[in-house]
Amino acid sequence: MKPVKIAMMGMTHGHTRKYYQTLLDNQKLDWVASCAQDVDAKKTYELYKTGVPCYLDPEEMYKKHPDIEAVVIASANDRHFEQVKWCAEKGIHILSMKIPTFDMKEYDEMIALCDKAGVVCQIELEMHYNSVVRRLKKLIADGAIGKIKSFQATNITLSPVWAFPWQGDPKASFGSVVPLKAGDPRFRGGALCDHPHIFDLIRHLTGSSFDYIYAEVAPNLRDGLKVEDMLMAVGKMKDGTSFLFDPSWSRLEEKLKVPGPGWERFPKRMEVNVTITGEKGMISCDCFGPNVYHNGAPNDRYTVQYTYFDEWIGLIDEFVACIREHKTPLINLKWHKETIQAMLGCYESIQSGKIAKVGGK
Amino acid sequence: MNMKKMNKGLDFLRGKYGAAKGEITVKDGHCFVGSTPLLPGRMERKIVELKKMTENGTLEGVSTLRFSSFAPKGADLEAMLAKELDLAAYLGASDVVRVMAAASGAAINVLAKLANDVNVSVEIGAGLPKGAEPYDRHEIIAKRGVACDQTVDTHTKHESIRCWGADGMEEFTDVDTELFGLSYDEIWNVRAAFALLQKRADAKVWKAAWAKATKAAKLAFAADKSKAAKTIAVKKGLDTNQSIKVAEVR
Repeated sequence: MKPVKIAMMGMTHGHTRKYYQTLLDNQKLDWVASCAQDVDAKKTYELYKTGVPCYLDPEEMYKKHPDIEAVVIASANDRHFEQVKWCAEKGIHILSMKIPTFDMKEYDEMIALCDKAGVVCQIELEMHYNSVVRRLKKLIADGAIGKIKSFQATNITLSPVWAFPWQGDPKASFGSVVPLKAGDPRFRGGALCDHPHIFDLIRHLTGSSFDYIYAEVAPNLRDGLKVEDMLMAVGKMKDGTSFLFDPSWSRLEEKLKVPGPGWERFPKRMEVNVTITGEKGMISCDCFGPNVYHNGAPNDRYTVQYTYFDEWIGLIDEFVACIREHKTPLINLKWHKETIQAMLGCYESIQSGKIAKVGGK
Repeated sequence: MNMKKMNKGLDFLRGKYGAAKGEITVKDGHCFVGSTPLLPGRMERKIVELKKMTENGTLEGVSTLRFSSFAPKGADLEAMLAKELDLAAYLGASDVVRVMAAASGAAINVLAKLANDVNVSVEIGAGLPKGAEPYDRHEIIAKRGVACDQTVDTHTKHESIRCWGADGMEEFTDVDTELFGLSYDEIWNVRAAFALLQKRADAKVWKAAWAKATKAAKLAFAADKSKAAKTIAVKKGLDTNQSIKVAEVR
């Protein structure tokens, strides 16, 4: 198979650095270029010494590398539409970060652009390539606990806003400046926008769609943050499955400009924990464990250090296969739309104080 | 271990990333590629992370290693001990130079010394019921920091998934998506073979390291019988405790 000539764009997303190893190791790829959004992003990129040239202008990158076949769009959410359009118009396949856009008009335009150009657009929901999630899917599919009745999930992390400031900027993160609710000084665009995974996972595991959702924001943990950092949601799927989600930034962090050791103040940076009650039993699942544990440098605090990170390998494997074998990715724009609508439902519910029917139905 | 499945997994990795030809074989319960013994323990990701911590400044001034390993009845105590002593030399970055041990039934307790003066304790037991999952623990105690591959304040092994179904509780810990379906031991033997075939691991180093570890384990049993510590002469030359190249995401 001819290696796919791939590039990265933006370089401001929190997941950017997680691709480097895979893009360099995977023999089905030829990582030819990167294009940073600004000088700061370029400087950070250069710290990782990938050896891949980095530009500041996409047109210049494309002029120098006209054979680019695919791009990982690793930028702020409000840049995604223009970048998807740029790629689609050139017939370039797209690996999009987890939130293509919260603007449903833009979202539908993205679908149309990609369909017209005949390009693959895969959404980065890396949990699907995690071995624990794979086991979880198998257990549910094999009927280990029968039909799902209740699904509780956390997708709780530290906040990346100090390293990736756009994630605390309502416009850059949510796409527009929308107050959370009357009398609340905060805006949409915080923790919720960082955590779509559990909204997606429940759809896969139940095979059902969202019916309604109710969400509440709590007081923020971080002073001065313009967006929400603590919230929870409860609701039902159309098959009657009850759910409870915590997609908060509930783990405090050091204000590092570049993520690295010592970032976390709570011992574990990120948890995706799921408990599922079925008609015949129950499952408890920690998608990021077991690990190793230490209280050494730099901060001499008890720290959970992850031991595996297969997600990016499987994600990229699927992307390459979709390009070369003309397949549709598991998480494509059309599938992902309902996940985004459910997240928007959370914001609508926070604003109204009532349940939100997902997708406005 | 299912050699057919393991070699299929190895072929998959070789095909995907590129590596020399080779096949995993098993002799006396230990896996080899050609005449090179595999050191799967060094490939376990938890061990990889612990090794990194000893080298990247997370831990400073290692003083003591406290290891334990438990397996079902009938397991080969000497092989279990050899694996742990190899990991002690690897994580302590120094060869074992002295061993003392006290054995009783299906258990042996070992106190070892590394050439760099680090103390090592190893508790080995083969008393778990047949079919039970083995359990081990590796703790590194340093002047700055303690690191461990088991959680603090529990003696229960962490499992990724617990499923209470019609047949009672089942536990699952899957650690490698590319080799999903292989057992824990199978996965690390495949990864070890792959590292060897990719030349990330050096066959000479692994042969020498395993020879040292098996010799130290044998001497531990002799020490128990003689009630006297056994000394091992350190040979100058090949450093058998160097880390190998691994993926990094932090």
